[in-house]
Amino acid sequence: MNTYEGMFLIDNDVVRSGWDRAKASVVGLIEKHGGSLVTARRWDERRLAYTIKKKNRATYLLSFFKLPHDAHAALNRDLEIQEFCLRHLILRHEGEVPEVELKASEIENEGTFEVPEPPDDAYDEADEPRESSDDDDDGSDDFGDDEPRNDGFKSGRPLPGAVRKPAEPKQPTETATTTEA
Amino acid sequence: MAFERKKPVLEIRKDIEIDYKDLELLEKCISPQGEMLSRRRTGLNAQGQRDLKRAIKRARHLGLLPFVV
Repeated sequence: MNTYEGMFLIDNDVVRSGWDRAKASVVGLIEKHGGSLVTARRWDERRLAYTIKKKNRATYLLSFFKLPHDAHAALNRDLEIQEFCLRHLILRHEGEVPEVELKASEIENEGTFEVPEPPDDAYDEADEPRESSDDDDDGSDDFGDDEPRNDGFKSGRPLPGAVRKPAEPKQPTETATTTEA
Repeated sequence: MAFERKKPVLEIRKDIEIDYKDLELLEKCISPQGEMLSRRRTGLNAQGQRDLKRAIKRARHLGLLPFVV
């Protein structure tokens, strides 16, 4: 038996019907091939860098499991056939399973943990408007009308309304006067 | 004229293990077009650069990083 680390991209439509059900379908496949699960947790829900199987978003399931060494290929083949798993990556893990993963998996298995519903497939975090520095809800900006903004000061430009002094006319130099004489 | 080696742009700590899940690090090691940066830019040794290559390719496979932007 070897220890493996597996990352599975789960279709968000399956996640919407229930996270436990989605997780059980992955665990079921591992156990079908003679493996045993050590940890499994929701790693993230994010927008994909490129479209995979016509999906733009997916939920990532990170798991550590033990599997007989000859079952790896069969599990890979089974995962490729399944439709709930958009893509997967299974790597041999040397050493003990990290403590962080054991704790995170424990927290998720507690009854209080709730998996947020994944957003729509077209949703993009980058389209969200950025938070401004105006943190109160009074509808106006944080600058008073009588006090000047210091934007110009920061950028090195003169403040609006600032009047530049006209350049003083140059005094004729001594050398110029000597040449005239 | 003496050849002066350019300083690496990134300073990646030598003691950390490069992992495909460490997106904060991997995103620094790719160009705006999604290409991997060279050893001269990352400042890694040969083994570190190979680990980085493997991590970026794994992250690309899982849709965490783009192949091309």
